[in-house]
Amino acid sequence: MLCGALFLGACQKIEQHQEPPKDNGLTGVMVNVDNFANSAQKIFVLNEGSMGSNSATLDFLRLPAGIYISDAFGKMNSSVGAGLGDVGNDIAVINNEVWIVVNNSGIVEVISAEDETEINVINVPTPRYIAYDANYAYVTSWAGAYATYEGWDLVDYSNVKGQVYRINLKTKQVEGTVEVGYQPEGIAYYGGKLYVANSGGLTLPPTYSYDNTVSIIDAASFKVTKTVEVQVNLKNAYADSKGNIYFTTLGNYWDVHSGLYMITAANPDSPSHVSDYATVSNICGDTVYCIGTETEFDWTGQVDHKYSAYTVKNGVKTPLTLNLNHATPYSIGVLNENVIFIGELGIYTYTDPEDKLEKIATDYYNPGSVTYYWHGNSVWSVQAGIMPGHFAIY
Amino acid sequence: MMVSVCCSLWAQQTDTLVAAQVYSYKVLPVVRASEQVAFLAGQVRPSAQVSELLRRFTGVQVKDYGGVGGLKTINVRSLGSEHVGVFLDGIQIDNAQNMQVDLGRFSVDGLGAVSLYNAVKTQRLQTAKEYASGAAVHLVSEDPLLLVGDSAGKVRLRGGSFGTFNPSVQWDRRIGGVILRVGAEFLTSNGKYKYDYFGTPLTRENGDIRSLRLDTRLSGMLLGGKWRLMLYGYGSERGFPGPVIRRSEEFPFSAERQADQDVFAQGGWTKDWTDRYSTALKFKYANNYTHYNTHPEKNAMAMPYNLHYRQQSAYVSLAQSLGLSDPWSVDLSTDLQRNTLDSDVGQFVKPRRTTFTGALATLLTWERFRAAANIAYTGAWDTFDQRNAGGWSCEGGFRDAWMPSLSLFVRPASWLEIDAFAKRTYRLPSFNDLYYSLMGNSALRPESAAQLGADIRMSARAGAWDVEARLSPYYNNVNSKIVALPTSSQFRWTMLNIGMVDVTGLDAKVSLERGLGSAERRLALTLRYTLQQALDHTSPGSQTWGNQIPYIPLHSGGLDLAFQWEDWSITWDTTLTGERWSRTANIDTYRIAPWSLSDASLSRKVTLYGHAGRGMVPQLAVGLALNNIFNQSYQVVQGYPMPGFNAMLTVEYSW
Repeated sequence: MLCGALFLGACQKIEQHQEPPKDNGLTGVMVNVDNFANSAQKIFVLNEGSMGSNSATLDFLRLPAGIYISDAFGKMNSSVGAGLGDVGNDIAVINNEVWIVVNNSGIVEVISAEDETEINVINVPTPRYIAYDANYAYVTSWAGAYATYEGWDLVDYSNVKGQVYRINLKTKQVEGTVEVGYQPEGIAYYGGKLYVANSGGLTLPPTYSYDNTVSIIDAASFKVTKTVEVQVNLKNAYADSKGNIYFTTLGNYWDVHSGLYMITAANPDSPSHVSDYATVSNICGDTVYCIGTETEFDWTGQVDHKYSAYTVKNGVKTPLTLNLNHATPYSIGVLNENVIFIGELGIYTYTDPEDKLEKIATDYYNPGSVTYYWHGNSVWSVQAGIMPGHFAIY
Repeated sequence: MMVSVCCSLWAQQTDTLVAAQVYSYKVLPVVRASEQVAFLAGQVRPSAQVSELLRRFTGVQVKDYGGVGGLKTINVRSLGSEHVGVFLDGIQIDNAQNMQVDLGRFSVDGLGAVSLYNAVKTQRLQTAKEYASGAAVHLVSEDPLLLVGDSAGKVRLRGGSFGTFNPSVQWDRRIGGVILRVGAEFLTSNGKYKYDYFGTPLTRENGDIRSLRLDTRLSGMLLGGKWRLMLYGYGSERGFPGPVIRRSEEFPFSAERQADQDVFAQGGWTKDWTDRYSTALKFKYANNYTHYNTHPEKNAMAMPYNLHYRQQSAYVSLAQSLGLSDPWSVDLSTDLQRNTLDSDVGQFVKPRRTTFTGALATLLTWERFRAAANIAYTGAWDTFDQRNAGGWSCEGGFRDAWMPSLSLFVRPASWLEIDAFAKRTYRLPSFNDLYYSLMGNSALRPESAAQLGADIRMSARAGAWDVEARLSPYYNNVNSKIVALPTSSQFRWTMLNIGMVDVTGLDAKVSLERGLGSAERRLALTLRYTLQQALDHTSPGSQTWGNQIPYIPLHSGGLDLAFQWEDWSITWDTTLTGERWSRTANIDTYRIAPWSLSDASLSRKVTLYGHAGRGMVPQLAVGLALNNIFNQSYQVVQGYPMPGFNAMLTVEYSW
């Protein structure tokens, strides 16, 4: 089983090639991958880059050779002078292609999974997350019904809903959009339906509140068939192979915790609360992996990094043993239950001048790192790009 | 920009002139301005924004986002712009929201001098806030008492590249004992210029600006004292072109617009009550309105924001100075200020801040040895009139700090002057640091800066040349630096007092000047050099420990040439900026290559004796400024390309 944002990727066969791929010459850092026990060829790491600085990059770990290669997109596409772009927000391996959602560049970059060379660029305004079925990719977008906006009065903000863009996997053409909730984030596909997590993350007028709905779209008719209330500020959406759809929420940073919620494809009207604390998450097979910051809505800024990690399978929560001492997880990638990657931001340790305790903080504009955990313990760590935030497996 | 160099070279002796106020008590500066440009009466003003003058000061780095309307803030000796106080006639131009002053908005029209102090300015009757800045830029209005006759005036037309048209008028009038100066300036520019977009030439869009400045200055004598009043209005509407990033061709880089309406009234009354006791009363009321709109209807990539801010500030200062025995004096300055910020940002708390600043200072100024010591105190109370954000409390709403300073001066020989200073200053967290929606941390403490510095000034005469040299070593330590750090949400940062930066550096400047047979024929040459080793010492063992902080070049410097022959002037300036990094991780990916910039100007003045009659002799001046002569492609701030070659023509008639 290959794990990515969506399990569908596992169904694709790996084609056999006679010639070595063009990216064979790329060099990087050698790391130990002896215990990976997996037939994957590459683990892609999308570094978001800090907003406005055009610093998104794509790294990958080549298997089974165990070479971690930085900025593979830049190296394999020197003709694209501007690089991957500004704020890499999501990545998916679809067939033999890697689809990369570059938020502030307004593009979905499609490259060859085999050699990282550019295949196509699709224009989507403020794209966020991606899901796909056999024929289409679906990309959530914050830019929606802005055309109704006129004048400078606040009331004109009342209809700033997001969209889902449908993109033909073969032609790479946009074939329609559908309006969903406010600032849609994660999207998952299961059984002919798309599940969209609406965040309302901009908390704009007139309500100044987060969205709390999941939009359910019928893929065939490409229309919203149902809207379900779950919890405020939804973030990621995952579907397992049994029709369980999971959603993380970031909460409101005040009296609502982040958490994991679940609905079933059979009965989407009654969402259930699985657990609190799910700021960092991913899915592998039928298991959702979550890490939460205990003090995530402590406004005093005294960031005390205690994490609770757990997995959920069929709605059942199990503690995840992950030795996160001195780690500040920003993202999680899972190859199998024993091989887990944690993406981290640039790290500072500092002595708090008030209580003289040693503390950890992160920054958002220096290179981060990816650490490999084997049976819950860190084995090695490599320097990544800025804000390594998303993983995909090929 | 033209003739600014000759101003700086030929008018530095006016330092003491600027310092002298109405009192008769002997005043000598302990620490002189690190850099100063003073304009002599009747002299042609450099047709420039204040930021253009500051660019050639040693130790100063103008952070320029490019274009006529682009933000221009300054760092001094690696202290961020939050630590640099900007004062107009001794009263601070402040911005409680983000603690930054856009120096591109201030014209040199109406100013008599622009100076930079690294040490505390040592002068009697200062406001308390003048004792409480890491570094200070002082803009001093031209002394209205210099008006000769009953009226004078000036009309200036300026225009050139980027569709820039920038006319201004100024009119002075003596009405009884009151001198009135009225000024107006209009600026329009389309902000378009070519730049290199990852190998493709593109034109910068949405960088246009329109602005109008109106000001009135009144001064006179009242009850045996000297009073001043200034009314100032500034309105502008501009676009922000945004950072240069990869962007789908379907969408523009930016459609963001900002409109500003700033008004302020400030003034003061200075009186010598006796030979020994003087007071200065100063006040200011400022009201700044900003409307920021990302225009999502024009740019589907825009975050949909349409925000309005109104900042108000009321300020009053009383300074008292007592001469104990010549040349020893003691000063007590007390300032009170109230700042408010209102906004329609979602879940925005509306902060109100009341700040008391007090300073006790003493000056001892003999001819050859001088000393100044002071201690300043700032206490700030923050409250909110609205608490709909949840999570913020008023606890921690009081912050205070003590700021001591000591300055010494010796003149061991007539050709040698040495001064030295030590001080500690704090800057309060801004309203943005504390309360900005999704980003606040109400427990922040003030950020502290400890500074040590010295100036060794030498002067000599070598044949026909007058030589002046200044060597200024310094050390700055910025502690509890306020740093924005990300959290789990891209849109929610947390602010912490964790940064620490150690800055060791040296400013050096050598000026050579000679007459060429007459006072109207001169040649001047200045060499400037700045060394700044600004190292991140936040977190031992981290990847950034010991690295140069972003955007600060280790080496920078330049050369200025000025040549005057009767009514003709030619200037040449070259500025060099060494390699820099855009991140604290000093790795190749983030290296910014060194660049140099050369500007030149040619100007001619024509004295119209035939029209002389009243007061000043009418004069016509024409100047041509050629900027970035070698069409260098460079960026001061990464992602914000600067214009290539551009030219401005100025015609000025004064009477």
